[in-house]
Amino acid sequence: MTTSVPTALTLDAQAISRISDHLDEPDWLRALRADWWRRAGETPPPTGLEEEWRRTDLSPLPRDGELLLDPPSVEISLPAGAAEAGVVVSDLRTAVAEHPDLVRRWLGQSEGQASHAHFWALALAGWTGGLFVHVPRNVTVDGTIVARTVLDRADVTYLPLTLVVAEESSSATVLEEVVSPDGGTGWFGGIVDIRAGQASRLRYANLQQLGDGAWNIGAQRVEVGQDATVTTLNAEVGSKVTKVGLDVQMTGKGGTSKLLGLLAAGDDQHIDINSDQDLHASYTTSDLLYLSALYDRARAAFYGVTKVRAGSAQTSSYQECRNLLLSPQAGAEPIPVLEIETNDILRCGHGATAGAIDPTQLFYAQSRGLDPEAAERMIVRGFFEQVVAQIEDETIRERILAALARRIGTTEAFA
Amino acid sequence: MALPNPARPNPALGQIPDSYKYGWHDAEQPPTTFEKGISAEVVAEISRIKGEPQWMTDLRLKAYRHFEARPMPTWGADLTPIDFQDIYYYVTGTDRAAQSWDDVPDYIRRTYDKLGIPEAEKKYLAGVGGQYDSEVVYHNIRTDLEKQGVIFLGTDEALKKYPEIFREHFGTVIPANDNKLAALNTAVWSGGSFIYVPPGVHVELPLQAYFRINTENMGQFERTLIIADEGSSVHYVEGCTAPTYSTASLHSAVVEIIVKKGARVRYTTIQNWSHNVYNLVTKRAVAHEDAVMEWVDGNLGSRVTMKYPSIYLLGERAHGEVLSIAFAGDEQHQDAGGKIIHAAPNTTSLITSKSISKGTGRTSYRGLVKVYPGCEKSKSTVRCDALILDEQARSDTYPYMEIDEEDVTIGHEATVSKVGSEQLFYLMSRGLSEAEASAMIVNGFIEPIVKELPMEYAVEMNRLIQLQMEGAVG
Repeated sequence: MTTSVPTALTLDAQAISRISDHLDEPDWLRALRADWWRRAGETPPPTGLEEEWRRTDLSPLPRDGELLLDPPSVEISLPAGAAEAGVVVSDLRTAVAEHPDLVRRWLGQSEGQASHAHFWALALAGWTGGLFVHVPRNVTVDGTIVARTVLDRADVTYLPLTLVVAEESSSATVLEEVVSPDGGTGWFGGIVDIRAGQASRLRYANLQQLGDGAWNIGAQRVEVGQDATVTTLNAEVGSKVTKVGLDVQMTGKGGTSKLLGLLAAGDDQHIDINSDQDLHASYTTSDLLYLSALYDRARAAFYGVTKVRAGSAQTSSYQECRNLLLSPQAGAEPIPVLEIETNDILRCGHGATAGAIDPTQLFYAQSRGLDPEAAERMIVRGFFEQVVAQIEDETIRERILAALARRIGTTEAFA
Repeated sequence: MALPNPARPNPALGQIPDSYKYGWHDAEQPPTTFEKGISAEVVAEISRIKGEPQWMTDLRLKAYRHFEARPMPTWGADLTPIDFQDIYYYVTGTDRAAQSWDDVPDYIRRTYDKLGIPEAEKKYLAGVGGQYDSEVVYHNIRTDLEKQGVIFLGTDEALKKYPEIFREHFGTVIPANDNKLAALNTAVWSGGSFIYVPPGVHVELPLQAYFRINTENMGQFERTLIIADEGSSVHYVEGCTAPTYSTASLHSAVVEIIVKKGARVRYTTIQNWSHNVYNLVTKRAVAHEDAVMEWVDGNLGSRVTMKYPSIYLLGERAHGEVLSIAFAGDEQHQDAGGKIIHAAPNTTSLITSKSISKGTGRTSYRGLVKVYPGCEKSKSTVRCDALILDEQARSDTYPYMEIDEEDVTIGHEATVSKVGSEQLFYLMSRGLSEAEASAMIVNGFIEPIVKELPMEYAVEMNRLIQLQMEGAVG
């Protein structure tokens, strides 16, 4: 390790090589970072005129924050027997040191979503921490892999990188959590790269509890191989601004993806999701369900595109985006887009709604003895049930409900 | 009953040519034609020839500057083939609006005969405002309407005869700087219809106008203004056909509608431009308290259509509806939809869109529902269904929603499907050919909208669909 590394770095070309110096990285990784830094320059940041970026003003993004060089390491909980079966779950920095060949094979191999390409490239160039999950062929992990990052500072720039690889016919469930303190204004630019091999089964949940000054500009990419089944769940609870791109590439025949989202926002929170469900291959299925409960002056935008490519036969897809407006100042812009280039489809559609709680529901709940606040909590919890009921993993369900309770309250008192 | 259609072609397979059914054009040259291209001089000259008041000349020139300054839209359909300097901006078929059918020049009457307009008039119409090229050539309004104070004129004539009411409303719904194409229309507009319905008057029969383009690269920039005063009602019907030419032609109309308190307007369009036309239309209505505005919009022809009829619900309890059908065949792109702006409490709206794409055609639904803060108890439903008939065809749905009020009920739903092989098999087992079976399924698909059309249009729509379907299999 060199000693000349300054304690404070902002994100620039020098920073990239200094990160490598600081982490004493092998040449291939230095070259990879340099390549992605170049690509970040070639894909300029959004101007705000792009369809995907019209609803989030990036100008206040704190770009000059200090780069978090040494984040706290990821707290990992691995089910018994997984390590023995060859499953690797570790901090990305540790994985580079301990499993260089494996990391090298998968790291930085995926193109980011076109709309988020700049931030995708920045994270691949400037990551200083992250998570690596590798499930070998034919291995089934029973139980939940939990990876938790608790940041002690919020006023920094941190671009963590998560890489999840499920090899052929493997099966695993992963919960990733990130927490940061309230107060400081910082830039959290985490990206997630998920590769589901042939006939694999992967469930990935992301629970975001960033502090109230965080700019969460993230991107998630999921590549679903032949006959693979992937379920992702994003629970967005914290942050000041959350702008996440979800890129789902249905590249293998017969693949299935389910994209679930639970968004609970209040105060002046702003959440903006851009999904791309790209159905390249025949007999693929991709369904999306995002639910937002919006309090105070919170605003949720959703711009999601389902693309069914010419030549892909017998695909099924659906996008559903529902918004519950719980305050007169809350707002929603759900925009589910379809671009269908073939007629040989099994099922294709979308639905979007926005509105307040039905007053008759409130009235009914109160007639059964609940006070108005409790009635509202119960109805919001019921609204989320459409997604919660689809969370099979108990650990994930409990932790996400506990995190959501911060915003939507709890229904336990009358459960 | 005579229909505004030539006799039904032989439905046998293979008999239906792909060529455009109304694709004849008259050999006669129109009497007055400008050089191609647009400039401030052309704009001023149009105004001078028309003998317009100074305010209109000034407005045209102001609009022309907006047109010049604004970039071409880059979203939606591909508009790059349009060359604004390769278009005629003013052509007249006749020097004045004819007072009766006998005064209409022969070659124009022949064209109308092929469309069956006189019969349609006899049977159904309260009045005919037929637009041939850029001038209104024929106008006849039934005397009972005149007695009620209903004004139904060509827009140019209305500017001369009713300058106060014209100036009070013109450009108030779609200002000169609204968008590039609306600015162009404001600069060079010619023809179109002007309707004023006095308070409490109900026009029982639909008012109807036909539009045609008859000069190669002739742009049509008609301007329609409809004012329904308090408690009145009117249904305006506009049908479009155009001869086929090999080079692109631009049609860029502006339609402004003001629906005052408690009034009701329905505006029905069946648009069937020939397949070289770029049809870029701005249509917008404002609906005041307790008013009802309905757009019924059928888009079958043209190379490219971009048209999103809009309704601004400005008064409490106003209601807006957009019913839209789009059919895109080979090389066609129908980018259509609707916009509803809820700007008052207790307003309600409904958008229903049915689109069909065939061959290499592409249909796009593009719509917006916006609810401003404070518009509580607003309700909106958007329903889009698309049918894709062929593997090369394409369908898109872009439903925008901006909801800034909590106490609302807003929903959108869309489906995309193909003609089911089981449905086809069943119908063919009952003795129908594949073309007939497909046409029946497609007609069933659009039925919820077709049933809202005046009868002769419904029949025409079903026939057009049938022709398209038969062409497909032949």
